[in-house]
Amino acid sequence: MADHEKSARPCKEREEDLVLFHYGELADGERRAIDGHLTSCAGCAAYLTELAALLPLTVKADKPPENFWRDYNRELRRKLDAAGEKRSWGELVAAFFRPRLLPAWGAAAVVTLALALTFGHKFWPSNDPPKEETALIEALPVAENLEFFKTMDVLDNLDLLESMGNPSDAI
Amino acid sequence: MTPHGPAAARLAARRPFLDAAGAAIKSQDRSRWVNPGDEELVAAAQRGDRRAFEELVDRHKQKAYYIAFDFARDREEARDLSQEAFLKAFMNLKNFDGRSSFYTWFYRILVNLCLDYKRRQKRAPTDSFDETLEHDVEPSHQPQQPRSPDQQVLAGQISRRVDQALAALPARQRTAFILKNHQGLSIKEIAALMETAEGTVKVHLHRAVAALRQSLADFA
Repeated sequence: MADHEKSARPCKEREEDLVLFHYGELADGERRAIDGHLTSCAGCAAYLTELAALLPLTVKADKPPENFWRDYNRELRRKLDAAGEKRSWGELVAAFFRPRLLPAWGAAAVVTLALALTFGHKFWPSNDPPKEETALIEALPVAENLEFFKTMDVLDNLDLLESMGNPSDAI
Repeated sequence: MTPHGPAAARLAARRPFLDAAGAAIKSQDRSRWVNPGDEELVAAAQRGDRRAFEELVDRHKQKAYYIAFDFARDREEARDLSQEAFLKAFMNLKNFDGRSSFYTWFYRILVNLCLDYKRRQKRAPTDSFDETLEHDVEPSHQPQQPRSPDQQVLAGQISRRVDQALAALPARQRTAFILKNHQGLSIKEIAALMETAEGTVKVHLHRAVAALRQSLADFA
């Protein structure tokens, strides 16, 4: 038999009320009205019977054993411990950033920065290299130039050798 | 006579909370503090009383688990989801302002987690789907007694079809239906939990029932 033939056909305009009637969610007056209607409407009565048979099928029963609840409690307590630890750290950090403390923290930061810039150089190690290293650094370009001039000497010597090889070119 | 054994140990474990609560209620109705309400426990937990929060867990864990089970239809997932909801509530307890009841606030967290879980599940279906359906299937109307192989096959078919039909419902229809049909919450409670109007919940419920009726017509 086809589904639509098997299913009860309620009055369309009463369908929602019938669902609420099934769940006991109608006010007294509305419930009485449906009760009266049911005595004369086979379709709506059959629909209600069908709901009463069908809807309990959708509930899946579960009855966990006793040890399930013991484990449940133990596991949840462990998770709460971990969450509590995490939360206390979070609260500590959050305490630093409470809105009413922010101006105080800002002022403290500005003062610290100003003091550091004013007096800091006396305490911080200087980034300048020692004097010996400074002399060496200054001498380095000179040394590079020296190498250049030496190369020039070799070139001079080459010119001399070439001129010796071609007497006609000699001055 | 002084209590001894497990009862004494339980009493000793609860002593700090009871003492703290006792000090706070001198001027209040003592009968309320024999069994403090959720609001009192929440206030104590917000002041950092872990035992007060554990008392809230004890009160709500079974209902939380069964709601999660109705969404997930799997024991392990339901356990994880309900525990995650308690953890989330614990972490956000300071933000709970008491405008709604703890019950509504907490179950809203739980239902949102369950819906997120269903969304994730839709995106990445696992191959344990059929396995979950084949065992552990026990529609509530059926007596828990030995069944013939034919009955077992039929129960499996029904459960599979129900799971598919529920999974096919839009999230809000499924939520309204589960909270009403499985958990027996009132329309008013569901509306508060879903942060919507009661009329909207009625429409969701009606549409969910109509869709399920169509899907399960063979078994009616």
